[in-house]
Amino acid sequence: MRLRIPNRLEDVFLALDRAEGTLDRAEVDASCRADVRLVLEELLVNTVRHGYPDGRDGSIDIRLEVEADVVHLELRDDAMPFDPLQHEPPDLPGDIARREIGGLGLHLARSIASAFHYARDAHGNRVVIRFDPSDEPTT
Amino acid sequence: MTLIVRSESPRTDRSTVWLEGRLDAATYAAFDEALRDITPLVDNGGTLVIDLSALDYISSAGLRSLAQLRKQLHDRDGRTLLLNPQPQVKKVFDIVKAVPVAEVFASVGELDQYLDHMQRQITALGS
Repeated sequence: MRLRIPNRLEDVFLALDRAEGTLDRAEVDASCRADVRLVLEELLVNTVRHGYPDGRDGSIDIRLEVEADVVHLELRDDAMPFDPLQHEPPDLPGDIARREIGGLGLHLARSIASAFHYARDAHGNRVVIRFDPSDEPTT
Repeated sequence: MTLIVRSESPRTDRSTVWLEGRLDAATYAAFDEALRDITPLVDNGGTLVIDLSALDYISSAGLRSLAQLRKQLHDRDGRTLLLNPQPQVKKVFDIVKAVPVAEVFASVGELDQYLDHMQRQITALGS
């Protein structure tokens, strides 16, 4: 799947549904589909909400490929520079009611992805993520 | 699929809310709004049970809503107990250590037992 979306929340959710359809057709199991959806939601929502503080129109390219049970995801955007890997891991005191709100989304995305790379070039931010279904616990 | 929130006619000491579908950046606002009507009906010191049996998916936006809800109940000496989280929701809870393990229950039976036990402790303290 290759998709270019504007930097708007409603388009993010259309893209999530498209991605899920692609994974479903490729017979990716439900647990891995949910992982991809979660990582996509966290990263795309973050980009749309925080990547364009000046309010300009932007675009995000999403590429999703399934190859022998491994899912490859690539995101490119023209938002301001942001490396999700440079974000400090959040404080997790064991009760979400006892911590400051925020920072959980990127932590989830990084925890769930099997491999996570960031680069920035002339076009903007580029994130490359791999999901290995074999990483899933058998429970 | 969208989020459906329904609640049994709240008793003052214990109410149950059922969630269905996805609790994410597209649905959390509807969830917050639905609970604004329900939480005031729970007594100070009461219990709100959130039944997660039919919730397929949660993201950080949903976690933030649950966190705010837990805070509101805590502030009134009440508690939120979570019932029967499904695999994706359980995985997300585990990664962010969302709630104390003691406040998540696999079945209504387990939850009833816990509440009975708490009630007996309170009764014993008061006698």
